[in-house]
Amino acid sequence: MKVFGEIRHEQVKIGGESGKAYSSLRSTDLFSAAAIMGILALIVINKAGGLIYNRTFGDGLNQLGTNDYLVLAGTFHGVHAITTRLSPIKPQQQVGADGIPGRPDPPSGLEVLETENFWLQCFNTLTGTKFLLFTDTLQTNVDIAMRKVYDLYADYVTKNPFYQLENPIRCDTFDRKLNSYIRETNNAR
Amino acid sequence: MSNLQAPRAGAKEPSGLRYPTNGKTIYHRPLNRAKAAELSGASFAYLFSEMVSYASKKIESIQDLEKRLNVQGHPIGLKLLDLLLYREPARSQTRPLNIITLLHFIKNNVWQHLFGQAADGLEKSSDPSKPDEYMIIDNEPLVNRYISVPRDMSQLNCAAYVAGIIEGVCDGSAFPARVTAHSVGKQEEGEMWPGRTVFLVKFAPEVMERENFLGKG
Amino acid sequence: MSASKAARVGEEIWKGRVDKVNAELVVLTYGTIVAQLCKDFDSDYVQVNKQLDKMGYNIGLRLIEDYLAKSNTMRRCSNFRETADMLAKVGFKIFLNITPTVTNWTSDNKQFSLVFEENPLADFVELPDDGRAQDELWYSNIFCGVLRGALEMVQMQVEAHFISDVLRGNDTTEMRVSLIRYIDDELPPEDD
Repeated sequence: MKVFGEIRHEQVKIGGESGKAYSSLRSTDLFSAAAIMGILALIVINKAGGLIYNRTFGDGLNQLGTNDYLVLAGTFHGVHAITTRLSPIKPQQQVGADGIPGRPDPPSGLEVLETENFWLQCFNTLTGTKFLLFTDTLQTNVDIAMRKVYDLYADYVTKNPFYQLENPIRCDTFDRKLNSYIRETNNAR
Repeated sequence: MSNLQAPRAGAKEPSGLRYPTNGKTIYHRPLNRAKAAELSGASFAYLFSEMVSYASKKIESIQDLEKRLNVQGHPIGLKLLDLLLYREPARSQTRPLNIITLLHFIKNNVWQHLFGQAADGLEKSSDPSKPDEYMIIDNEPLVNRYISVPRDMSQLNCAAYVAGIIEGVCDGSAFPARVTAHSVGKQEEGEMWPGRTVFLVKFAPEVMERENFLGKG
Repeated sequence: MSASKAARVGEEIWKGRVDKVNAELVVLTYGTIVAQLCKDFDSDYVQVNKQLDKMGYNIGLRLIEDYLAKSNTMRRCSNFRETADMLAKVGFKIFLNITPTVTNWTSDNKQFSLVFEENPLADFVELPDDGRAQDELWYSNIFCGVLRGALEMVQMQVEAHFISDVLRGNDTTEMRVSLIRYIDDELPPEDD
């Protein structure tokens, strides 16, 4: 499903398969590459919509107050949930050709949001955790970066006995590995 | 529970245990079968993480937690000593007979087997008042790879589990010792080995006495 | 995903994306965990089984993220049969390098067995010869909890338990897995 909404200069993409079609829209280079900063920030939102991680890299984005980040996380979570409901309702139970009761894919929600200065990509894992990567608008291979971030989370967060699931992520090793990955990626540009 | 002894002759002595109808018991398994086998590091990490969580329940101090981890490692050391010596070629199958041979066995054989590489260093305490203390150094203990110790527990080093394994090897070789794990890595940004760990091996007085006596002979 | 494709995917991940450690480090670590529980619960094996299941559940809640990240899974299984294949041929493969056999399906496709030809966790193991352990202890019970926890995180409520174990003198090691329900927030619970 492809729905493009024009909200002033911001565009919102809903649905799973339209990423490629959308990237062609990005090429209209309205703004010079004044701030080539690569990956600008990472936010992680838990299943309940709570902010559990928030890091800004470099100075491509302004820092907000803690409260604003909490609101951003909660609001994004809420909007995401509503956008999934915009998707046409799928049949509750399908029976496959082999006669086995099937389980339809859940409708996907808001995945990308763009402003004049940044591109925000959301990766909603099958467990319901959301990773939000903010990049500059020229960043390529955001999917690869997202996958790497998820790998680091699986390693340095979920395998840490002192991390309590769904709680704010305070893991030095995760911070360290994430920083060095982001630095490497941003420097490679 | 685990039993690493060499196969019993015939394995036919009376036991109350039932066996599958094919008669296969662990004594029919070659002891070297799993020698070079591999499992995922993730499986180890999740098991170890759960062991640490379980051991963290109702503890009174960090030392308490480290003690529990040490106790869980100890039987592994006892068994590994037998297992690794059994796998050595016949001529080098003897138990270590002095402190240096024992520590080299731990630094090389035990580490290589468990962690895929030898430990990074072996040192004797430079303090002349502590001739009974030795240090095995690991720049990045495998067991700690994914662990971030919370600030309020900064004294803790979960490699206390490995310290327990070392202690088991020492005790099993009749070199009773106390082994503890200490974090010595600097936490600054850009530090190469933030998880650097020293395993402090402190031998019992009788070990030192024997060593001195043998040294004179 | 078909069963044969799942097997291929599991093999590829195991070869290319899995960080490996010496098997005996894992096996001995599991052994010392079980031995410690037997001490802590004073050889009350029913309690030990429960604790192993609980520890497995805690692991499953976390391990699912590693599974999803490593396998790059973006879509959920389209039915429970696919789930069974993914568990056996991708899950068990990438964590333990084994692929238990999926078999003994019930006609409603909600229950199956995993039959373990090999079980690395049980290498070196003989249960205590105390007249009770072979009747009461499920040595590998942690697996049941792992499945329960991991699948719960992807919105499936399952129940899993062992029905035989070569360590008890049975000829096979078999675990029974049942789908209780799909947990979908938006939809009211299905009638069973």
